[in-house]
Amino acid sequence: MNGIFSKGPAGMAGPAWHARRIAPIAVLAVLVSLAFWGSDYLLSIMILIMCYMAIGQMWNLLGGYAGLVSLGQQSFIGLGGYTLAKITQVYHLPVILAFVLAAVISVLFALLISIPVFKMKGVYFTIGTWIVAECLALFFSTWSFSNYAQGYTITATYAFSTAQIYLVALAVGVGALIVVMAVLRSRLGLALMAMRDNAAASEVRGVEQYRTKLKCFLISAAVTGIAGAALYLNQAFIQPANAFGISWTVSMVFIAIIGGMGTVEGPIIGAVIFVLLRQALYNFPGISMMLLGLIAIAIIMIAPRGIMGIIRRKTQFEIFPVRRHPSA
Amino acid sequence: MNTILEVRDLGISFGSNQVLKSVSFDLYENEILGVIGPNGAGKTVMLNILSGILKPGKGSVSFMGRDILPMSIVERTRLGFGRTFQIPRSFENMTAYENGLIGSVYGTGATERAASLKVPAILEMIGLSDRKGVFAGKLGLIDRKRLEIGVALASNPKLLLLDEVAGGLTESEVSDILGIVRGIKEAGVSVIWIEHVLQTMLEGTDRVMLLAEGRDVVCGPPEAVMSSKEVETAYLGA
Ligand SMILES: Nc1ncnc2c1ncn2[C@@H]1O[C@H](COP(=O)(O)OP(=O)(O)OP(=O)(O)O)[C@@H](O)[C@H]1O
Ligand SMILES: [Mg+2]
Repeated sequence: MNGIFSKGPAGMAGPAWHARRIAPIAVLAVLVSLAFWGSDYLLSIMILIMCYMAIGQMWNLLGGYAGLVSLGQQSFIGLGGYTLAKITQVYHLPVILAFVLAAVISVLFALLISIPVFKMKGVYFTIGTWIVAECLALFFSTWSFSNYAQGYTITATYAFSTAQIYLVALAVGVGALIVVMAVLRSRLGLALMAMRDNAAASEVRGVEQYRTKLKCFLISAAVTGIAGAALYLNQAFIQPANAFGISWTVSMVFIAIIGGMGTVEGPIIGAVIFVLLRQALYNFPGISMMLLGLIAIAIIMIAPRGIMGIIRRKTQFEIFPVRRHPSA
Repeated sequence: MNTILEVRDLGISFGSNQVLKSVSFDLYENEILGVIGPNGAGKTVMLNILSGILKPGKGSVSFMGRDILPMSIVERTRLGFGRTFQIPRSFENMTAYENGLIGSVYGTGATERAASLKVPAILEMIGLSDRKGVFAGKLGLIDRKRLEIGVALASNPKLLLLDEVAGGLTESEVSDILGIVRGIKEAGVSVIWIEHVLQTMLEGTDRVMLLAEGRDVVCGPPEAVMSSKEVETAYLGA
């Protein structure tokens, strides 16, 4: 973790540099300790924030950097959730195996669908990914192997306390953040930031578009699949219509847009706002999606680059540094 | 003199708009070839064909003896094509230094570490050393034009395509650019330089080609071409 979080800009030394180094560890310590003193209500909200932050990060990697606006990330949520159900409920195997398999199956499926959907450009890609997810929903509701439309009750969940599920969600959330940071700080990340700013120019500078996008697509599938398993570990009940429903991706888009696309901090801010808002609107189920939509539109009009956009306009502030600095 | 780029009978149309009818020329190794022509003559289109953004309707382009038309944009960059854009296309939310890194890492296949050793020297050469930590989107026009050249140079090009890097600049800024291009030539790079600014063509090139009516009308020593009847006709109309 040191390598990812602590590398301060060259020449930066003293207290500020130490703060950079210590702050993430302190925050992590507080988050872990929450499992021991947080109320079940607080923890259940934190579970959602962690999971939604993870899937928001992954959508942002695609939509905010690679120019891949997907409406089909629910494919991987559903695959992750069903992997958990099948592994624990049907085969009575350990939960951890389900998490590993959720990633593997998601990546394989992503690789498979990349062949057709990567041939589609722009809005066709967007629609293509959505259609794939709808097909999965249909297929799972007619497939005996996945218990048709009834789905499963995931009783493995009952063996866990809320605090334990929170720790799983925390690992998923922090893990997703580490993955994103590692990607952005790597050679691949350099290409992604260039693509975010100007895809056509990045190609002229030598960035292979197809390969870069595919790598991103696979990484985001893996993590979204794992997050799907965590979400369904929390939910304890899975059915195709819900598991492969577009509202998962709508949430991710909301999170990325209000937080600020193409930033690491954006999906964190976005997930907190999204989960709290949804909780506040819990008693108005009919209009809550509509209200969220209106809020998203309002934010797009006031601050097209999200909350991070407002912050960045004033400062070059970043909590999770991905900037490169000359060594001299 | 060795020919590095051989362009023959290049043509392209957009619908009924036949922008290039037939363009042929040679570029020699370590030569700076100026390209002039009225607005809309197809100069940028020609550059876009060379760098792989547009596919020509006819003609051939060979670079160091290889047919490059089947090659992708990225392949051409790796082969040694560097270019700038008439309207700078810098990566706005990345610093000048990071823009240079992109050019070096993805243009040459270098590691980030190797690139980090090379980029500062390039920023020095284009006069952006003191602004390396500034977001490209926050740089002024002259600095963004310089950065365009720097990012292209970072990919270690054998052939550099410049599209109006001096347009819209003051006289002293133009002199700066002239100095930078001279330095590039000294480093052994061949250059195709599109420009409207007279001074750059007279002082900064080895030969000048006039592109008009979709053809390479004349090509020769700068003074001779610039004072030719053909140039007068092309710019003022017959
Ligand atoms: N992608 C395109 N699709 C359709 N038409 C195009 C395209 N690119 C250029 N053109 C047309 O080709 C013609 C030549 O444009 P080009 O940009 O090459 O001119 P230019 O010589 O660079 O002019 P300037 O000096 O103003 O930069 C114009 O009429 C333009 O509208
Ligand atoms: Mg032009």
